[in-house]
Amino acid sequence: MKWDIPSLEELEDAVWKCTACGNCKTAYDFGPPPTNGEICPAGVEYGFDGNMASKGKIAFARGILDGTLEWTQEFVDDIYKCTICGGCQNQCELDHKPVIPEIIEAMRRKAVEDGVGPMPTQKVIAQSMRSFNNPYQGPRRVRTDWTRPFKKAKKPIKNIMKKDAPILFYVGCTGAFNLPVRNFPVATASIFQKLGLDFGILGENEICCGSTAMRLGDVEEFKRVAETNMKTFKDLHDNHGVETIVTSCAGCFRAMKKDYSLSDEYEKYLGGLKIIHTTDFLFNYFKEGKIKFTKELPWKVTYHDPCHTGRHLIDYDVDEDGSQQWKGSYLGKSEDNCLYDVPREMLNAIPGLDFVEMERIRSNSYCCGGGGGVMTGYGDWAAKNAGLRIQEGLETGAEHMVSICPFCHYNLNEGSKRIKSSMKVYDLVELIDLAL
Amino acid sequence: MTEIPKESKVDSAITKKLCEIVGEKNATDYKHIRYAYSYDLSFVKPKLPDYVVMPTNVEQVQKIMKFANQEKISVTPFTAGTNIGGLCIPENGGILLDMKRMNEIIRIDEESHYAIIEPGVSHAKFASALAKYNLRWSWPVGPPSASTSSCAISHGIGGLSARYGLNSEEITSMEVVLPTGELVRVGSCAIQEDAWHSCLPLPRMDGLFTGWLGTTGVITKIGLRVHPTPPILKVFTASTENIGQMASYLRTLGNYEICDDLTAVSWWLSNVPIPYPYKPKPADAPEWISFATTFSWTEKEKQAREEIWRMVVDEETKKGSSLKETEYPEEALRARTQLPSQIVGSTKNYTKQGGGGISWPGTFTPVNKWEPVYEEWKKILIGRNLSPSVRVTNYRGVHYGMLRAMIPFPKKDPEAVENARQAIVECLKVDLDNGGIPYKPPVDFGVEINKRAHPGYVDLMKRVKNMLDPNDIMNTGKLAL
Repeated sequence: MKWDIPSLEELEDAVWKCTACGNCKTAYDFGPPPTNGEICPAGVEYGFDGNMASKGKIAFARGILDGTLEWTQEFVDDIYKCTICGGCQNQCELDHKPVIPEIIEAMRRKAVEDGVGPMPTQKVIAQSMRSFNNPYQGPRRVRTDWTRPFKKAKKPIKNIMKKDAPILFYVGCTGAFNLPVRNFPVATASIFQKLGLDFGILGENEICCGSTAMRLGDVEEFKRVAETNMKTFKDLHDNHGVETIVTSCAGCFRAMKKDYSLSDEYEKYLGGLKIIHTTDFLFNYFKEGKIKFTKELPWKVTYHDPCHTGRHLIDYDVDEDGSQQWKGSYLGKSEDNCLYDVPREMLNAIPGLDFVEMERIRSNSYCCGGGGGVMTGYGDWAAKNAGLRIQEGLETGAEHMVSICPFCHYNLNEGSKRIKSSMKVYDLVELIDLAL
Repeated sequence: MTEIPKESKVDSAITKKLCEIVGEKNATDYKHIRYAYSYDLSFVKPKLPDYVVMPTNVEQVQKIMKFANQEKISVTPFTAGTNIGGLCIPENGGILLDMKRMNEIIRIDEESHYAIIEPGVSHAKFASALAKYNLRWSWPVGPPSASTSSCAISHGIGGLSARYGLNSEEITSMEVVLPTGELVRVGSCAIQEDAWHSCLPLPRMDGLFTGWLGTTGVITKIGLRVHPTPPILKVFTASTENIGQMASYLRTLGNYEICDDLTAVSWWLSNVPIPYPYKPKPADAPEWISFATTFSWTEKEKQAREEIWRMVVDEETKKGSSLKETEYPEEALRARTQLPSQIVGSTKNYTKQGGGGISWPGTFTPVNKWEPVYEEWKKILIGRNLSPSVRVTNYRGVHYGMLRAMIPFPKKDPEAVENARQAIVECLKVDLDNGGIPYKPPVDFGVEINKRAHPGYVDLMKRVKNMLDPNDIMNTGKLAL
């Protein structure tokens, strides 16, 4: 399988398109009325222009490319102090806009290739991936621990390798191994059963999607698990009747939709499959009237847009052959694939629920601080940043925050604890399950 | 490959001292951090600072300046670094004083219509805060992340300049740390600590810190006049075949002082982005297009403004002008009337096609000199395969005006950068010889200004600079003295 994952050198032209104007530093919208907010977690925490938004990261890339900058421990550290949330990317209007996260990840790939990255705590993840096929050092058998309540209730969940089903519920490592987030897969499976869906899981045979490895620049590990998954998925499609892969994890979803598509055999392996996030999947049933909320949930909640189900799914229109403007010109973007309206419509449909918005939402959502390997590399900073987001949620008067990403879920709850707030973060599936 | 900034000597004892002043998280000599401050949008050659420090309060700024003055270390003040004159590139290395963490809006006085802000307050932050009081500021066509105070002290302009003049004319008071570390105040706040409403009728000592390119002190607080926002916007757009007729129209309309912004741009600048390299204008397109932005409180007021505008159009038509009411390109109009703007802010309109670089001959030039200077600029720029993407704007009615050309270039290509630099400096010389004055000038421009200056002017500048900064540490070299 061949992969089109660019090196930093291959992205050099894009690097030089950055003017250093600094538009990327702040989330601003004319309105009216005008709104403004911080958009770069690293910029908020560390402050120097090098740490700030894409202007700073592009400077790092430029310094590597022009030979001024050589690896130092501190330099590598600052390259990994980025959540790769895409908040800065959303502000930019120039031709390198579509590849800003790729430039940051290409620097990390170079760091890994040169033997200086990732950071020590993140290396544990890489090792865990190789030893356990997940970033949590979790033994295989633990992957299905979350299914115990279903067995106990005599509603066991199918192992799709043994019993065919049209729907594969790809749980993801975080839902399976990270205890505070385990209610995720539980709620998802519970809803599926309430809807009478024929679905199964890979169970102990599920392996990591590779998202974390990709974000950390460990491209070889990413390719290893991605290729294994793609072959597994094709086998499930060809031999076990799987038509749809549903995942509750924003990171897995992003990896399968975007990162896997960098393979030249993406269509061959995944072309016949529909890959969909749980929220979107359930929304289809909701639209068809198959999800009917019967219970009231008298909560006041706000909603946090995860980067991986939002900005990372923006499609950029680039003039590839120069026929419209010039070769490589950024022409525009489409947010059609971003899960912005779907969770909001679902929330608003839950009886008794009072939904209020924060200031920074949708494409200008403020990252929780957990992405890009930051939660594992810089846990304290990640939780501190999440505390800022929780504070923003509290300012709306909401009691609870809802999201659709297990990383955000975990990190925001850590942030809430850190600022000693009573705000609890839920996944949308938990609310849907409660209201059904 | 473009020029690489030269490394300079870093002294860890100095870093240690700076860390003691602002804390370890806010001072560094790491090269990769310094590198990010070594260049900007312009053609100015990259230069590395030796240290970067981010103070969080006035006392820290004072301590840094006292220390730098004692050790004779250059200090380059920095807020966002978004100017296009290389003003924050450290000519002499030393300390890069990044003020972004002093970013409080201290007060918005909704009765007396002024605000007190710190230097790190961005246009975006200020705009969203003022909007809550239905107030506004003269937003420039710069990034929303740029510093409001830096624009003001550098004689920046904005969307209200046809009405109120330069943003520096809106300064009501200042708190400044001198290069020697003393804290001073100018304007009403100097007499009564809490009074920030006016620089007048006191001697205009704010002039010691405006237009000096950050070479005379560090502004730590600034008072700025703000203005109410009338609800009704009407933009009059018109075109002419040439600059002479456009200048006549702007002068006539400017006489009535009904516009907040009165600007015209050449065909090349009305494109988003500016064509790079030069391409000829389509034969059927007018060479000049203008927008006149007006705000009114009532429909009747708007109608009165329309009546005046029609009168002006009739007057110009009678003179034989090619003036026509026209459509201004949609995105360009949004970029220039919905300020602060991400379209201009991200330099999409300027440099997207050029690739990474933008500089200008930006000048104050009287309306009656626009035509001869523009015609010369056109020859120079087209001769170097660059678009004559020129803008003219009236300030305060017809009192004075701006003439500038935005020149994009691909930063990756040093020859193209040098071509743009030479073109811009050639343009500047033409303007200076016609009585124009460049603003926010890079050192290359400063040299040309000083060559032409009255000896008494240069001598007085030196004396003032020496009085305030006896060791010449503040933004060393920027005045080209």
